[in-house]
Amino acid sequence: MFLALKELQRAKVRFGLLIAAVALLVFLILFQQSLQNGLLSSFVGAIRNQSAEVLVYRTDGRRVLQGSVISPELEALVRDSGAAAAVGRIGQGTFTVTPGASGDGVPVETSILGYESAELGGPTTLVSGRLPEAPDEAVASDVDAELGFAVGDVVTVEPGGLAIEIVGLASDVQLNVTPTLFTSYDTYLAAVASRNPDAGTPLPNVLALQAPEGVPPAEVATAVNALSDELDALTRSQAADETPGVAQVRQSFQVIFLLYGFVVPLVTGLFFLIITFQKASALTLLRAIGAPANKLIGSLLVQVAVVLGGGLLLGIGLYALIARGRLGGINLRFETTAVLVWVALLSIGGLISSLFSARRVLALDPYAATTGAGVGS
Amino acid sequence: MMLALRELRRRPGRFSAAGLILILIALLLMFLGGLLDGLLRSSTGAVRALDGDLVVYTASAEDSFLRSRIEPAQRQAIEAVDGVDTSAGIGVAQLGARRTDRGPRDLLDVVVFGAEAPPKGLDAIPADGEAVADSSLREQGVSEGTVLLIGPARSELTVVGFVDDTQYLGQAALWTTPASWREILQTNRPDQQLGADVFQSLVVRVADGASATDVAAAIDAATGGATATLTVEAAANGLPGVESQRTTFNQIIGVTVGIAVVVVALFFALLTVERAALYGVLKAVGARSGTLFGGLVLQALVLSAVACVVAGAAALALDAAIPPGSIPLRITGARLGQSSVFLLVAAIIGCAFSLRRLLRVDPASAIGSGS
Repeated sequence: MFLALKELQRAKVRFGLLIAAVALLVFLILFQQSLQNGLLSSFVGAIRNQSAEVLVYRTDGRRVLQGSVISPELEALVRDSGAAAAVGRIGQGTFTVTPGASGDGVPVETSILGYESAELGGPTTLVSGRLPEAPDEAVASDVDAELGFAVGDVVTVEPGGLAIEIVGLASDVQLNVTPTLFTSYDTYLAAVASRNPDAGTPLPNVLALQAPEGVPPAEVATAVNALSDELDALTRSQAADETPGVAQVRQSFQVIFLLYGFVVPLVTGLFFLIITFQKASALTLLRAIGAPANKLIGSLLVQVAVVLGGGLLLGIGLYALIARGRLGGINLRFETTAVLVWVALLSIGGLISSLFSARRVLALDPYAATTGAGVGS
Repeated sequence: MMLALRELRRRPGRFSAAGLILILIALLLMFLGGLLDGLLRSSTGAVRALDGDLVVYTASAEDSFLRSRIEPAQRQAIEAVDGVDTSAGIGVAQLGARRTDRGPRDLLDVVVFGAEAPPKGLDAIPADGEAVADSSLREQGVSEGTVLLIGPARSELTVVGFVDDTQYLGQAALWTTPASWREILQTNRPDQQLGADVFQSLVVRVADGASATDVAAAIDAATGGATATLTVEAAANGLPGVESQRTTFNQIIGVTVGIAVVVVALFFALLTVERAALYGVLKAVGARSGTLFGGLVLQALVLSAVACVVAGAAALALDAAIPPGSIPLRITGARLGQSSVFLLVAAIIGCAFSLRRLLRVDPASAIGSGS
């Protein structure tokens, strides 16, 4: 044990480089985990954290809120079917909005989501203020507060100049990685008219359904889908997960994680294998003068633990420094679960890879010390 | 140098583990780069294909076709600007498209471009009711003569040809006449319909000898600031997510190159320690430190080059194995070359960490009087 720590002190550069490599890899893995989760949350958070249990798109909408348009006939079909306890309209569009006084006043692309009833499309993660109660009021995503979407700010839809007051903030309710406003359906209609006076009254983009008591939302979705091939009903989580692009993002990151996940144990394993190889003569001598193999393996594992522990701590520290910021409109956050999972995975991987070195230590023959040869030489 | 190469040949096992790590890192660099290229290509193709120098949006549109609307009076003002050669109206409609031979729930993601002038790669815009499709639709079974039913109103567009690299925000473009686009917009997305002769945007060709940036500024001045005029390249980069994707991926690639530097440094530092006695002997018989270091760098370069070749093959295999429409991976020779250069440079930098140790090797150690 003493020797293991002494060696760490003496060979600072070598062990320092390894710790730096592990730290960089851990940092990158965790950063990308945050990026993936932040991206998905910024992309479909407004769908995941709205109150409707089932969302009905038009098949043509390809599961994109803005791409779907529900005709009056289809709306009547759903309402008359009795499949849902309650039905409401949701309209969604992307607008150019000048933020309020707390921001820098530079117009930004903003999603506006209008709903008829708080139980059918309203935000469920309110963290401050209140839900809209009057026309031209909105709940904004909390991460956009400092951009000029704080409670009390009055934002302006361009062109046309419709003024909307922010009365509440909700967490994880962004859509398409843009600032997002939840308003009454009428306010949404007013925003559309403000932007494009040529447009008629827009049809709802999706219908929000509440399942009858005791009926699972998935059953309601199945019943609605049976009404017409033009309807595409999804439960709330399905609607979030099956938004185009979400699966692609997940698959891409999975490949990246897999590759990085292999590199950490490989780097650690290679390092200790070479070290063990280089120290073969010294280790043989130690065995010859009575040092038991388990002591030597214990020393090796102490060094592995110090390197992995140091790398993990440093990597997590770096990650913690940037995990509270924003990256290109994506809100990053410190993901405790991801940290714990990756610490466990990388520790196990690192320890397994160091077993190759342990095997080599066990293979040392103390007799070789009398011939002047080390193992492996 | 010969000694270094001979060691690589005679004892490849010594380098195999480091080689495997470098292969993984090279594959990561190529995969990340390929992913970035794929994302950017599928997002910006249609804008890059616009056959002009400038794209004119409404100032309040935040560089979005959907929110922009150029009125006829504004167009007149733009066309009167010195340095403007021609202007062509353009508009888009993002909708689902059905094929007559597929089920009612089986849709293609398309974006209908109504354009007065054809994009690069096309001689002319086809007739009303016809469209030239982005070639990515071929992978989804669309061929010449296929009738696509656009949007909930099932507006018909017959595919009469294909053009490469014109995707827009991940969707395949269908290039048709302004009249067909207007009809599709009116019947399928009444909330987005525009008045007669109103276009979402204008593509401007600058007169010979005129500066595109000067003309862009003159256009915005002529419209009293009601327009935002960008070069085609800036318009492509201004599409949602493009800049942030590029920045994020480049940062990740940069850190991965940093990891490659550290891994190479670590490996060759260990090798140098292991060979200290040997280097002492070589120095004692007259080998210069520079030559020994050159051998080390050569080994690192050969190892990295082999890793790049294996990783390049793996990346190409991955690209071929990934089904179209899933991960937007695009592996190109340029990207493989760039990633390889990154890794080779990382190898050289990594080796430099061993230089100090190598210089400190004392030739006297060869006869047992050195430390």
